[in-house]
Amino acid sequence: MDRLLKRAQGLYLDRQRIALSAFMVVFVVTLYMFYSPGIVGIAEPPEWFPPGWSEGLEVVASFNTVGFLLAFAVMVFAYGFWQWAFLPTPAVSYTRTVLAGIFGRGAKVTQTIGKRFRVFLDGDAYVDVTCRIRGQGSGNWFAYRLTSSPISRTDAEDIALRHGMSVKKGRFTTWISNEELHSRTLLLAKAMYLALHT
Amino acid sequence: MDDDELASMYELIQLLSSLNDTRRSILQALAHVYPRSVSGVQLSRMIGYSGKSRSLYRGVLAHMEENNLISIDQLTPRLYAIRINNEHPLLDLLVEISRKYGGATRKIYLRSLEEE
Repeated sequence: MDRLLKRAQGLYLDRQRIALSAFMVVFVVTLYMFYSPGIVGIAEPPEWFPPGWSEGLEVVASFNTVGFLLAFAVMVFAYGFWQWAFLPTPAVSYTRTVLAGIFGRGAKVTQTIGKRFRVFLDGDAYVDVTCRIRGQGSGNWFAYRLTSSPISRTDAEDIALRHGMSVKKGRFTTWISNEELHSRTLLLAKAMYLALHT
Repeated sequence: MDDDELASMYELIQLLSSLNDTRRSILQALAHVYPRSVSGVQLSRMIGYSGKSRSLYRGVLAHMEENNLISIDQLTPRLYAIRINNEHPLLDLLVEISRKYGGATRKIYLRSLEEE
């Protein structure tokens, strides 16, 4: 793996550890905040309930629990959002350097939240490059998904096939590993050139 | 060799060199043993893959199947039959030249398959 990506991997693991421990601290504080004031029950348990049970039930079925669950959902959402959006800086500069190497320094590359890059080619053609930090189940670090702008040609399937790609929703798409970022993006650009100019 | 064949050969070389080591060795191994299909464990041994075969499947084989480079038949929930896609216009050529000129290499691959 590239030196920059190695650094990005270390940074990511580090940040994940920090985020998880912050998550745990916030969890404990929220738990304390919601249950230390008096318990506000939603409904009275029926008379025939054993007294020990109804005392426990009063704590569980209370507005405190509703509030706590809401706060917990917000925490999970915030963590999920962070995981979706965060791409370590070395990985960003790796991606940008490789893309600039293929399309030239002058090419316009924009980065949007959620690890997505878009390279604008001549005309209104573009290439979307989406990074995935760690593949689920595969354990591969920094895989990329390449997607071209829409290709409206009847033989698009054939062109994609000859470049080892597939067509999804009228776009050339392929999953690649980080070592292939340079060579496969080059090939995608060539396939798009063939599709748009011949 | 006529012009069309040369053009296909150029595209084949370009395709193969764009792939990373793992994917390239998978195609090479599968082209030589064609028309046999191999299981995931056999394949990872043939290409000298050090990781788990599950990670080979999720990260590499599934993507190669998506791109129509190989075809995977699920025989049982844990057993896959993996073949090169010989309906692919370029890989068809790779299979053809491997069968024509790769007899010795084919023997080596087949021997590694026999050793269970």
